[in-house]
Amino acid sequence: MGVLITPSMIGQVVISGLLAGSLYAMVALGLGLIFGVMRVLNVAHGPLLMMGAYTTFWLFQWIGFNPYLSLLVSMPLLFLVGVGLQRFLVRRVVDAPELSSLLLTFGVSIALVNLAQLAFTSDLRAVEYLTGSFVVGPFALSKPRLATCGFAIAITLGAFVFLRSTRLGKAIRAVSQSREVAQVCGIDVQRIHLLTFGLGAALAAAGGSLVAVMVAIQPEMGQVYTFKSFLVIVLGGAGNYPGALLGGLLLGLVEQLASLFLTTQVNEAVAYVLLVLVLLIRPTGLLKGRV
Amino acid sequence: MKRWFPAALALLAVGLALYPLQATGYGVRVMLQLFMWIALAQSWNLISGLTGYVSFGHVVFFGTGAYASSILIVALGWAWPLACLGGGVVAAGLALLIGWPCLRLKGPYFAIATLGLNEVMRVVVSYYEGLTGGGNGLSLPTLHASVEIYYAMGLVAAAVTAVTYVIVTSRFGLRLMTIREDEVAAEAMGIDTLRYKLYAFLLSAAAPGIVGGLSARDQGYIEPLSVFPLIMTITMIVMALFGGKGTIWGPVLGAALLFAFQEVVWARFIYLHQLLFGAIIVGVVLLMPRGILGVLQQKYNLPRTI
Amino acid sequence: MAPILEIRSVVKRFGGVAAVSGVSLALEPGRIYGLIGPNGSGKTTLFNCITGVDQADEGEILFKGRRIDRLKPHQIFHLGIGRTFQVIRVFPELTALENLLVVTTTGYDEARRRAQELLELVKLERLAGEFAGNLSYGQQKLVEFIRVLMTDPEMILLDEPAAGVNRTLLNELLDTVRRLRDQGKTVLLVEHDMKVVMGLCETVFVLDHGEKLAEGAPGVIQADERVIEAYFGR
Repeated sequence: MGVLITPSMIGQVVISGLLAGSLYAMVALGLGLIFGVMRVLNVAHGPLLMMGAYTTFWLFQWIGFNPYLSLLVSMPLLFLVGVGLQRFLVRRVVDAPELSSLLLTFGVSIALVNLAQLAFTSDLRAVEYLTGSFVVGPFALSKPRLATCGFAIAITLGAFVFLRSTRLGKAIRAVSQSREVAQVCGIDVQRIHLLTFGLGAALAAAGGSLVAVMVAIQPEMGQVYTFKSFLVIVLGGAGNYPGALLGGLLLGLVEQLASLFLTTQVNEAVAYVLLVLVLLIRPTGLLKGRV
Repeated sequence: MKRWFPAALALLAVGLALYPLQATGYGVRVMLQLFMWIALAQSWNLISGLTGYVSFGHVVFFGTGAYASSILIVALGWAWPLACLGGGVVAAGLALLIGWPCLRLKGPYFAIATLGLNEVMRVVVSYYEGLTGGGNGLSLPTLHASVEIYYAMGLVAAAVTAVTYVIVTSRFGLRLMTIREDEVAAEAMGIDTLRYKLYAFLLSAAAPGIVGGLSARDQGYIEPLSVFPLIMTITMIVMALFGGKGTIWGPVLGAALLFAFQEVVWARFIYLHQLLFGAIIVGVVLLMPRGILGVLQQKYNLPRTI
Repeated sequence: MAPILEIRSVVKRFGGVAAVSGVSLALEPGRIYGLIGPNGSGKTTLFNCITGVDQADEGEILFKGRRIDRLKPHQIFHLGIGRTFQVIRVFPELTALENLLVVTTTGYDEARRRAQELLELVKLERLAGEFAGNLSYGQQKLVEFIRVLMTDPEMILLDEPAAGVNRTLLNELLDTVRRLRDQGKTVLLVEHDMKVVMGLCETVFVLDHGEKLAEGAPGVIQADERVIEAYFGR
């Protein structure tokens, strides 16, 4: 290979990794909430992210709406979509064997992706809003990545404040730990399920709106995020919400590190190999989680 | 089992065997594809229908078999029947490699692992360009053997169905089903669930590997996008679900019905077609989770051998 | 006589809570033992640790002198420990007969014979072809019970065998348990119904908050102040 690895390269990798990781963490938190509260693996998580991206794109395209402000539109919009999915579809399989919810969300994801194909065609779209980088010493900080990271951190922190301090947030955590006990304590579990799915979808949408500025938008763009979000959950431990943060950052770091040594093509395989390794060695996650 | 069923089956087999003698080349190819889908849906049923472990990446065995057998033909000069069997063996080997770590865990973890597997194989194929032709694809020497491949596909479809029958009527099959019903209880009753899941997974990968090879041989050319498409996994799943997962003839029924549907709708309305498949999956899960045959089984108290 | 089952200082934690903290028990072969304690005292967790469903964080579990705390459930089963569950876990889409057949490792014919025998023992032979999911609660309970007996295990763990069962059925079950003991088997049961425990068990262990509170003959336990306090508070 003969590539000289300098400290500044490592530094660059760490910074890029943390920037990317914050997005992964936010999106994965959405998946993790749905999984933790309802034990439903939302295979449609990626497509929900895609819908957030398209929302941002069309608002930008039609009325020049600031992509970052569009978070205020895409998040509530997809929150409602999530609530709708839960209310009319997912609710019926929450207590069924796990494979039912897997197949259901799989079917929903196919439907969503192809709806997007029909509505928007598979033409690649882009939001040209923020480009270029700040140069700080030997490091280049990509502007859109910085913005994404900033918003992702803010939103994720907001989510955690919500979970820790508000009544609804605590109710979500209670149902997540034990549905029966939560019910006995007077918590309306149905409402919590609706809220959680909506929240999960909103976080995915936020991810979509943020990446819309950075990557090509097309109907299948979300698939890889479903997988990576799941990987983050596995890394951090299922049901362990702070774990999702660490898992996201870790994934970001590992990916950037791998890109130093491997071609971009093989990068996809990195996430997968990481998943298989973690499943082999510590299936309960790097931090303690419930399998 | 009703008396007339085996006789009707024999008649059908004879009819299908004689079909190529008076059918057009196009007709043979259509039936050949139907056999392929039967084999695929039936294979998915072996792992996901019987054990309840949903595989979202099953097309990876199809693609792996396609590449493995094509490489055997092109690089080592093997005859295609042997090469396709080789494709099946390689696919089963991949199943062992992936299943060993991933089947230890609960369903959702396994499902997501299979989801990513497809992408990885596409990357692997692109990486080993020298062998696989990478993104440019691999061309096979010209061969007009559609009729032979028709018979080969038919044999594989029949074989997988027969294997399913044998499994469902054996204690091995019962044990696979206990994994679906209650894995904790199964373990507590002395069933080594990992081993059984692995066997089922291996078996479910062999046929897709073989038909992948056959399909590649028939097309004469393969490239990553054509042999690892997500839509193939989706189609396999819809067919098995619609017809009745966990039953013997369900995947056959589902394959026949949805293949006919596909021939009509696919060419003109690809995305609508896929959208409908997604909707059918949702519909089946919510309204008739046991599929057509499953519903009939329950209503008329039919035996499990249906 | 060497104990058939030994639990040495077993600790099992879930998150920050220790469901079982430092429990030690020893069971002699050929006796009926009871495991009681208020809700949340760690009884089912201990069962799960013995049968491999959960793994103990600390301590050892020995069966016939051999460590089993790191083994998988199916391996422990084949060593000779069978169990039933608190919430019935028959296989609903298998028939009653099939529920029994999946368990054995002997030839098909022998397995069928044994299954028939057991079904007749609990008078369920006419329901052999019924899907287990369609049986009544009591019938499912019986199927789960005889399923455990299919391979003739040396030690049987029963998790709340009396729950939801009518008097007549219960007495039959208890008689069967006594007969098993007479055959030399060891039985350990978790139970809330005190009458059952006092009438059936020779030795009773009491757990409270994950620790062993007391151990002894039923009469002694009943009179133990600490036990009364644990159940009814000060």
